[in-house]
Amino acid sequence: MAQAQVPVTVLTGYLGAGKTTLLNRILSEQHGKKYAVIVNEFGELGVDNDLVVNADEEVFEMNNGCICCTVRGDLIRIIEGLMKRKDKFDGILVETTGLADPGPVAQTFFTDDEVKARTRLDAIVTVVDAKHFLGQLEQGDEAEEQVAFADVILLNKTDLVSEDDLKKVESKISAINRYARIFRTQKSQIKLDAILDKGAFDLQRILEFEPDFLHHGHDHDHEEEVKSLSLTADRPVDPDKFQKWMGALLQLRGPDIFRSKGILAIDGAPRRYVYQGVHMMMDSDWGTPWKEGEKRFSKLVFIGRNLDGENLQRGFNDCLK
Amino acid sequence: MKLDFSNPAWQQTLPPGRSVAADAPAAACAFSKEGAIVAFALGDGRVRLLPADINAAETPAGEPLHNGVVLALVGDPAGDGFVSGGDDGRLLRIAADGTASEIANQKGKWFEHIAAHRATGAIAASAGKSAFVVKGGEMKEFGPHESTVADLDFSKDGSRIACAHYGGVTVWSIGQVTVAPRKFAWRGSHVALKWSTDGKFIATGTQENDIHVWRVAQATDMRMQGYPAKVKSLSWTADARFLYTSAQPVFTAWPFSGKGPEGKPALQFGEEGAGMISVVAAHPAAEFVAGGYDSGELQLGDIKTRRSVVLKMADGSAITCLAWSPDGYKLAVGNDAGTLLVIDLRR
Repeated sequence: MAQAQVPVTVLTGYLGAGKTTLLNRILSEQHGKKYAVIVNEFGELGVDNDLVVNADEEVFEMNNGCICCTVRGDLIRIIEGLMKRKDKFDGILVETTGLADPGPVAQTFFTDDEVKARTRLDAIVTVVDAKHFLGQLEQGDEAEEQVAFADVILLNKTDLVSEDDLKKVESKISAINRYARIFRTQKSQIKLDAILDKGAFDLQRILEFEPDFLHHGHDHDHEEEVKSLSLTADRPVDPDKFQKWMGALLQLRGPDIFRSKGILAIDGAPRRYVYQGVHMMMDSDWGTPWKEGEKRFSKLVFIGRNLDGENLQRGFNDCLK
Repeated sequence: MKLDFSNPAWQQTLPPGRSVAADAPAAACAFSKEGAIVAFALGDGRVRLLPADINAAETPAGEPLHNGVVLALVGDPAGDGFVSGGDDGRLLRIAADGTASEIANQKGKWFEHIAAHRATGAIAASAGKSAFVVKGGEMKEFGPHESTVADLDFSKDGSRIACAHYGGVTVWSIGQVTVAPRKFAWRGSHVALKWSTDGKFIATGTQENDIHVWRVAQATDMRMQGYPAKVKSLSWTADARFLYTSAQPVFTAWPFSGKGPEGKPALQFGEEGAGMISVVAAHPAAEFVAGGYDSGELQLGDIKTRRSVVLKMADGSAITCLAWSPDGYKLAVGNDAGTLLVIDLRR
C-alpha cells in the first residue's frame, strides 16, 4: 500500500526531566491525532492505550567493524509490526531511557531499508531539567550528548529556577548545540504542534538560523567539550569531491561527530542537495529547487567533540569548484 | 505430482481460485493440518478462515480475535484449526469453527513467531526474549535470551528448537530443560531462521543483508553475502537439497547436496520481477517453488526445468505471505492491501 512516511519523534532527556509527563499529555490530550508510542518502561505511563509498545532498548553493533554503528534492532522489529496494523497513525514517538545515548535510536532510521521506506526521523526532542541540568553535566556524558543530538529542546521546570539561572542553562545549551530550537516549559506544557511533525530533521532551520551571539566564546572552548559549528561556501560544490571528503571525515571522526547536517549548492544542479548524518551514518536527498536568480550557497553544520573548525573549513573549501 | 506450471494463460488471468478482500494487511497465512481450511492473519485482529475448497461457500469474516495485529499463524499440529499470536500478547488456539481459546498471555509483549511440528503436535512461540513450547496441554518456557527472539523453528524430529537473536542462535532440548542450550554464535542481529528439512543445517537471515548457515553436528558455519536487502524469508526444499532465499529479483537457491554451497554460486532462475522477492515458499513435496514480490507479482517456478510463470495479482501491493496446502495442490497468498487468495494448481 503506497503510503506517506510516518514521522518519528525521538524523545530523550535525563532521568526526571519530564519525558513521562510529556508522553502522558500527548496520549491523553484531545488533539485529534493518533500516535504510536514506544516506551522503555510500561508501567510509568498513566494512560492505557493499545498503541503503547514496550521496548527493551536492544542495541546491537553492526557487523561492519565500526564501533559507533550501533542500532536498535528492537525498534526495527516494532516498526515493522506497527506497519501491519489496519489503523494507521499520524506519528510514532520513541522514548529513550534517561541514561540512553541517542545515537543508536537515531542511527536505526539510517540503517534499515524498510524502516527508511515507511518512516522518517522527524526530530530528536530533548527534555532538559532546568534545575538540575548543570549538575547532570558533571555526572557523565549523557546529559550533554542528549542536548548535542537535539533538534528541539524543552527547557522544562523553569518555574523552579530564577531568570538568571535559566539564562545560564540556556547559554550552556547553546554552547553545546546552537542549532536546536529551545522552548521554555513548565510541567512539560507545550503546544504539541511545536514539537511533533515539524520536519526539524529536514534542515530548513540550519539555513534560516545562524546564531551569532555566542561567537565570542568559541575561542576559549575546551577541546574536549561538545560544541557546534557551521561551514559555509558561496561557490558551488563538486559532488564527487564532497562525497569523498565527507565519507573519509565520518569514517575517521564519526565517533566524535554526533550530528552533521548540510544543504549544498551542487555545481549545475537545479535543486538543493540536503544531507544529514548521525555518527558515521549519513543519508542524502534532493531538496527544494533553487529559485530563479536566488543566491546559491552551501552550509554544513557539525555538532560534536574535538571539532577543529579551521581544519574542517579547509577540507570543505577543497570540495568547491 | 502434476501442476500446470507452464500454462501461459495464467499470465493474463489467475488460475482457478478464490479471492477475498479483507480491509487490513495480511501478516501470515496457513493451511490447517489436514488442509481443509486456509487462514489469514490480519492487521485488524481477525483471523480470516476460508474453506480450502475453492468451490465451497465462503465463510463469514468473524469478529477480531486479537486486540491489535495478528502477527503469526500456523495450522494447529494437534487439531484441525490454527494457532495465532498477536501484538496483544496473546497466543490463541482457534478451532475449525473459528472459536478461540487462550493458550498463553504475556501482557506487554508480542507473540511474534510460531513454529509447528506436525509429527509431535507441538508448537513453539516467541514472546519477548523467551520461547514457549506447548505440547499436550503443557507449556515450557525457554529463555530469556540476550535479546528478543526474532524467529524460531523446530528440528526435524521435534526434539529441539532453535531461536534466533542478537549474536546468533540458541538451540534448546525440549524434553530436557536441564540440558544446557547450545549456542551458535555470529555477531549481529539475526532476523529470520529456518532449520533444514533434513535437520542438518540451521539458516538465518541477518540485518546486514546476508545469510548465515550452521552445520548443526559440526557447529561449523558459512556466510552468503551480496544481497541488496535483508533476507527475511527462507525456505528449504522438501528434500533439503536447496535453500531458497528472498531479497533477489529471481528465484535464488543455495545447493546443499553433496559438499554444500561453499565456493558455489547460488542457482538463480525465473523471470526478473519488477521488485524483489519478499516471501518465498518451497513446495512441500515436489521441485516447485512460489515467490511473492514486494511489487505485487507472484511467480511459480520449477527448479528442475528452470521454467516459471509470473502471475499478476490485482492490486500491485507487496505480497506478505505464502502457504502451500499439505497436499501441495493449493497455494494461499496474502498481500499488504488485504487481498487474500487461494489458487488451485491441479492440472
